[in-house]
Amino acid sequence: MRAYTAYTAKELTEFTRTYKLLIIGLVFLLFGIMSPLAAKFMPELLTSFMPEGMQITIADPTALDSWMQFEKNISQIGLFVIVIVMSGMMAGEYSRGTLVNILTKGLPRRTVILSKFTAAVLLWTGAYLVCFGTAYAYTWFYWRKTVNTPGLTEAAFALWFFGVFLVAVTILGGVLVRTSYGTLLFTGLAVVAQFLLNMIPKVEKYNPIQLAAGGTPLLQGQLEAGSLVKPMIVAGACTVGCVVAACAVFHKKKL
Amino acid sequence: MHNVDLFLKYLPVFIPVLIIELVLMLTALIHVLRHPNYRFGNKVVWILVVVFIQIIGPVVYFVFGRGEEE
Repeated sequence: MRAYTAYTAKELTEFTRTYKLLIIGLVFLLFGIMSPLAAKFMPELLTSFMPEGMQITIADPTALDSWMQFEKNISQIGLFVIVIVMSGMMAGEYSRGTLVNILTKGLPRRTVILSKFTAAVLLWTGAYLVCFGTAYAYTWFYWRKTVNTPGLTEAAFALWFFGVFLVAVTILGGVLVRTSYGTLLFTGLAVVAQFLLNMIPKVEKYNPIQLAAGGTPLLQGQLEAGSLVKPMIVAGACTVGCVVAACAVFHKKKL
Repeated sequence: MHNVDLFLKYLPVFIPVLIIELVLMLTALIHVLRHPNYRFGNKVVWILVVVFIQIIGPVVYFVFGRGEEE
C-alpha cells in the first residue's frame, strides 16, 4: 500500500513536471468557457456572416444548447486530448528504461499499472470537474434558472465514466505496444470498433460508446437515463478487464 | 464593419478564452526556444506549430515534440 501511494504520488508529480497538468487543465478550462459561449453567440455569429438581405430564423439559445455543446466538445476533442496525453505514460517508461531500477528494488509490477491508472483517472476527473464547473458557472450566468437541464447529471456522469474506460484502454495499449503512437492507434481502433459495433442494433444497447454518444439525446429527452445502465455495466467490466489484463501482460513483459 | 462591431461588443466575454490560448502558446513557445532538443522536427517547425495551431499545437508539442531534459 505504501508503494502504491508513493508511486501514485510520483506519477502525479510527473504530470506537473512534464506540463501535462498544465495542458490538460488549460484545455479543459477552455472547453468549460467555450461551450456556453458557443451556444450563446452562435445565432449572432451565424446572422453576421450571412449575406445581406438573407433571412433565417434561429431559435434563441437555451441552457440545453450550452450543455449539448459541452457534451460535444468533451466527447470529441476533450477525450482525444486526454488519450494523446496518456498515450506516452507507459511508452516513456519503456523508452527511458526508468522502470528497471525501481522494479529490481522490489516494487510489484501490478503496483506500477494500478498507480498509473489511478493517477490518470485522478487527472481526468480533476480536469472534468474543472470543465464542468466552469461550464456550469457560465451557463448559470447566462440562463440562470434553467441551468439544471433534465438529464444533466446522468449525461455528465456517463461521459466521465466513458473517460475512465478510455483511460483503462489506453493503459492496456501502452503495456501492449510500447510506443506512444502505437498506444494512440490501439485506443483509436478500440473506439472505431465500438462505432462499428454500434451498427448492430442488438449490440448497441450494451455498447460503452453509448455513454459518450448518448449524452446529447439524453439531454434532449430522446433517451431514457435507464438505457445507459447496461452500457455502463459493460464499460465498468471492460475497465476492470483492461486493468487486470494490463497487469497480467506487464507481469510477463521484458523491460 | 458589422463583424468588427460584433467582435468589439463581445470582447470582454472572450477575454478569458484569449488569455488561456495565449498562456498555452507562450508556455510552449518559451519551452521551444529554451530547450533546443526535440524528439523530431526542428526549432522553426515547432515555433510555427505552436504559434499558428491554436490549442492543439502546444498540446502536440508538449506530448510528442518535447525532448528529454538533460
